[in-house]
Amino acid sequence: MYLEVRNLTVLYDRAMVLNNVSLNVEKGEAVGLVGPNGAGKSTMMRAITGLVQWEKDSLKGTTKGKITIEGSVVFNGEELINVPAPRIAQRGLILCPERGRPFREMTVKENLEAGAYLVKDKRVIKDSLDKVYYLFPRLKERIDQVSGTLSGGERTMLSIGRALMSQAKLLLIDEPSTGLAPLVKQDLFTRIKDVHGLGITILLVEQDISFAFDLAPRNYVLSQGKMITQGSPEELLADESIRRTYPGL
Amino acid sequence: METLTNLVIHGLLYGGMCAILAVGFALIFGVAKIVNMAHTAFYMVASFIIFIGVSRVGLPVWLASLVSILLTCLLSVICYKLFFERVKHHETAVMIISVALAMLFQEIFLLIFGGHYHGIPALVKGFMDLGVVRISYKNLFALGFSLITLLGLWLLLSKTRLGIAIRSVAQDREVANLVGININHIYMITMGISAGLAAVAGAIVAPIFMVHPLMWMQPLVMVLAAVVLGGLGSIKGAVIAALILGFAESLVIFLIPDGSFLRGAVSLAVMVVVLVIRPEGLYGVVFEEERL
Repeated sequence: MYLEVRNLTVLYDRAMVLNNVSLNVEKGEAVGLVGPNGAGKSTMMRAITGLVQWEKDSLKGTTKGKITIEGSVVFNGEELINVPAPRIAQRGLILCPERGRPFREMTVKENLEAGAYLVKDKRVIKDSLDKVYYLFPRLKERIDQVSGTLSGGERTMLSIGRALMSQAKLLLIDEPSTGLAPLVKQDLFTRIKDVHGLGITILLVEQDISFAFDLAPRNYVLSQGKMITQGSPEELLADESIRRTYPGL
Repeated sequence: METLTNLVIHGLLYGGMCAILAVGFALIFGVAKIVNMAHTAFYMVASFIIFIGVSRVGLPVWLASLVSILLTCLLSVICYKLFFERVKHHETAVMIISVALAMLFQEIFLLIFGGHYHGIPALVKGFMDLGVVRISYKNLFALGFSLITLLGLWLLLSKTRLGIAIRSVAQDREVANLVGININHIYMITMGISAGLAAVAGAIVAPIFMVHPLMWMQPLVMVLAAVVLGGLGSIKGAVIAALILGFAESLVIFLIPDGSFLRGAVSLAVMVVVLVIRPEGLYGVVFEEERL
């Protein structure tokens, strides 16, 4: 098992955002995590990459409430639940947050350099940069553009590029399709398939299940903080529970 | 002609010094959200270390300046570790602690040296005769050094790996985690750089003005005004605003006869006007970004 999340529970004050969820990903796989708005998908990604823990620490000494996190996240045989976020990134477990969130006052190139923060070897940086430019030629065209002025699709591309620069082994992509035009979405998902083709394991979070099902042969369904079911796209589409989760399907 | 030349020189000199101070203040605020009211106190401490080094220990001025810059950096990092780190998520507590620190430094030096003004010999002596005016070499040196410092900071922030990390943290702390940057480490380094800049300003100013335990207050007002005018957290804004304010104060001193008592009011007036007319300042609010 490459990534194994077991019995993960997250509470913001007394609101249970994740209720005892489990998930696993094998090496080289592409796995989808689908679910409606507010299901807890992003929180799950943030908990896996240590951001919930970081947020919890940053609330210490303030009156803004309390976060509880329980359960276990094992990546590559190593327990990560109490490992600080930068160390998790160092192990190759990288999150592309929703809407990409590039460092907006920095240029495309500087963003990619920031991604390579932990990489010491100049040759590795150069190779990764070539890889990113090959996958996303658009980024190469905009190399000196300030990333805050990029379009939504380009921001997501930049975020994936940044993750590749960080030598991602398992890439968590949070809602890449949010706010994108259909054609841009299509193009972006072709690129994500290319990234998977490079041998990088992918855990894709999506609301738009058609894209998730297209990429991932195995999908989890999360709703209201609970893992409802999992299976192949065909199984899920035939399943009653997902029809109830996604009315109108 | 003479007034004009004097005006330009004084404006550049004072503006440059304030720019270095304001940049340090903007830097630590932008990166760690620390409103460091003790920022100019570090500048006072640095000046005193130079004074002690020269007059009590007998070091040459350049060596005393170097030692002072290093010691001030060290002092700020110790302050960060001892005081700021524990409450770094609580912005009000951070600010109150910084005021307390500034007071502490002031009282320590008042106790030891009393409220006297102390002079420090200049690093370079002599002056250049331009016919109409004389420019002392120490002023020219101070000006050049200010420019070199600002240039050095710009290179550090835009060209180095550390600089990219510092700017990443300033722009999005959460995402900085995701690329493997240890935020607390960057806060500490930035605190050191920021206080180092204050110390450089101290080293530049000490031979020109006098050293005094209360010398941190007036520049603090100027620095706050510059940061507001430039846009909170914007480094480029802070430099430009500090130069504008430096010239504005020089204008008041040179153009209004016996008006030098008004100089302190200039930055305050600018701060009030900016907050009323354009609260985001010259370079504030760059992009409207959807956050989580």
